[in-house]
Amino acid sequence: MAIDFEPRIVGFLCNWCSYAGADMAGTARICYPSNIRVIRVPCSARIDPLLVVKAFQLGADGVLVAGCHPGDCHYTEGNYYSRRRFALLYPFLEYLGIEKGRLRLEWVSASEGRKFSHVVSSFTEGLVSLGPREKVPAEGALP
Amino acid sequence: MSQTAQIRQAARELLQGKAVECVIGYERGTDGVNARPFFAYEAAEADRLIFDQTCTHDLAKYLLNRKGKSTAIVVKPCDSRAINLLLNESQIQRDKLHIIGVVCPGVVERRWGTPGAKQLNACQVCQQHTPVVYDTLVGQPVSEPAVADPYPDVAGMEAKPADERRTFWEEQFSRCLRCYACRQACPGCYCPECFAERLDPLWVGIRIAPGENEVWNTMRAFHLAGRCIGCYQCEQVCPVNIRLSLLNRKLEKDVLGMFHFQAGMDAESPPPFSTYQKDEKLGIGE
Amino acid sequence: MRQFISKQNLISWLRQQMEARQLVAPTQVDDLILFRRIDRVDDVILQFQNTATSPKEWLFPKTETLFHVERKDGKAELIPAEIDGETVIFGLRPCDARGITMLDLPYLADPADTLYRQHRQKTVLVGLSCLTACPECFCESMGSGPEDTAALDIMFTEVRDGYLVQAITEKGRSLMPQALLSPAETVKPPAPETAPVPSEGITAKMRQAFDGPYWGRVADRCIHCNVCAYVCPTCYCFDVRDYTNKGSVERVRSWESCQSPGFTKIAGGHDPRANKGARMRQRFSHKLLYFPEQFGPLHCVGCGRCVRACPVNIDIREIMQDVQRMGAPK
Repeated sequence: MAIDFEPRIVGFLCNWCSYAGADMAGTARICYPSNIRVIRVPCSARIDPLLVVKAFQLGADGVLVAGCHPGDCHYTEGNYYSRRRFALLYPFLEYLGIEKGRLRLEWVSASEGRKFSHVVSSFTEGLVSLGPREKVPAEGALP
Repeated sequence: MSQTAQIRQAARELLQGKAVECVIGYERGTDGVNARPFFAYEAAEADRLIFDQTCTHDLAKYLLNRKGKSTAIVVKPCDSRAINLLLNESQIQRDKLHIIGVVCPGVVERRWGTPGAKQLNACQVCQQHTPVVYDTLVGQPVSEPAVADPYPDVAGMEAKPADERRTFWEEQFSRCLRCYACRQACPGCYCPECFAERLDPLWVGIRIAPGENEVWNTMRAFHLAGRCIGCYQCEQVCPVNIRLSLLNRKLEKDVLGMFHFQAGMDAESPPPFSTYQKDEKLGIGE
Repeated sequence: MRQFISKQNLISWLRQQMEARQLVAPTQVDDLILFRRIDRVDDVILQFQNTATSPKEWLFPKTETLFHVERKDGKAELIPAEIDGETVIFGLRPCDARGITMLDLPYLADPADTLYRQHRQKTVLVGLSCLTACPECFCESMGSGPEDTAALDIMFTEVRDGYLVQAITEKGRSLMPQALLSPAETVKPPAPETAPVPSEGITAKMRQAFDGPYWGRVADRCIHCNVCAYVCPTCYCFDVRDYTNKGSVERVRSWESCQSPGFTKIAGGHDPRANKGARMRQRFSHKLLYFPEQFGPLHCVGCGRCVRACPVNIDIREIMQDVQRMGAPK
């Protein structure tokens, strides 16, 4: 197992809770691995599964989707829809051979800086033990 | 009276009485063995209609080209579920439609020039032999068999180790020609602009290559989660025999297990992704 | 003089080819027979009717980079793609080889498509003549036939215990070592007969059939997938797109088809062939009218793949019969 492996994580964070939670981690000087590349989105329901699949195609080792806790959605019900969507996407990607530990949905509120740090740390650790994704097939290669 | 004769009679009456402009059904194809879709516009053309085990096409797809036009259509039970799907999603109008539902014992795999010997996988585990919606019923309704394990193919795939599944799908997707026949044949695929053909943002590029093929096939299937009615058309039309039904049926199985929902059984129940329950436990984010 | 190669010698010749260059031949992939790059000679299939998809992808790939643009010292530099290595395609049916001459017409005409020309120059085409006819093929009506040697460098014909060898071009002769051959003692088996279709005078008839409700009726059942064009050995349309990545640009072309709904969409969103009937007519007019007018031959070799693969049985043989039967327009 490559000790030096630094997984690349694409993090989709909802603007109202999880992005603010990541901000909170920063202002409170709570450390978390720099493996995550954060993309701010209006709501976790904005995350079309296509974005996740595309991130994996382009070489992400893991994808984190984080939003408000159920009941706290800024748009009242967005995260209830995302919950259903990702509940189905998890086993589907696993079925396609993308290990379970590479996709994660978490609820992180604006005040949960510590939780955000914990999520990113444990996710990164999990990905390190999973190792890099198998080499993505080179585009344009002949059959 | 045979099913073919009953369909012909119904079609003739509908066209003669000008109840509909067109009857969509099946006729014999040029190989003399298999059926192909047929559009009858005149009462005299009704005698070309047939029904037998080679009538594999899901004709409900064609209703999307005939929006607002009075049409009669021959449907098998799975196709009748496609009609409910399209009604549910407000794509077609019920009052413009006359549904000739056919009690179906199952259809065979389409093989050019030779009578198909093998029943479709989906038909082997079918639990719906009588159409769920119809105006005219052709054949006697049958009692539905209890199928103990409706997803043996999916379970077999799930039981394989992850790397084996990965290798399997990589090989399958690498074959894909991106001819989009699976999409074009599917009654549930009707976006005016498919995500695969959007230029801005360019989600799926034009490269016919493994990575982009994988995004295409994964998302095509996922867009049909909770919507696929199991007509098997995608797999039937694939020119390179990709096992697309294994994707759709996996989602069908999980949707049934998680949300107790089957697409197209009626035209009113909200599809699983357009509704939710506040307190449901789905095993994520908890 | 005809020469003979034993089956064993053929296999060792294939092994030599595989070691010296890229060998592409029919092989079993699940329940399909496809042209694939061969890594083990045992994988080559010698007994088959024809492959599910045509071999054109080895000369006109599904996807191919045309050039890269790199930024260097403040200037943009265009780096054209190069084809490296030679390829031997073994097991071409005569119809498919004839199909390659159809690709040559548009792609080698001045100005030639540089990538296609490179593929063509670096590929040796080795045919296997047909001893039985597929039920859906009609090559003899389309100017080809089970023994057609168009475009081929070498042709093999199966006989007892081996093959008759016909080296057609200089390139073919140079690749066929005499040591493996012996004088042929068996006579050539008779070529099979294919079912005729009325191709005589079809071009003039197609012009007459341009207007009228016929194409709309055929298009009723067309689902507008691209299967017919993608399995066809002669269809040659493509789409081009630029991929950008950190300051470098790659221009890529991939197969496209006139049956795909957005094929003719132009800037502003207008589509001059938005209607299904017009798209259907375009396919058959291109094959039977426009291409012969521009280049001479009919743009179909009668391999029958589209007939077999079409999900809704749109059958070019039936279309030709229907068009022939049509009267002159009023």
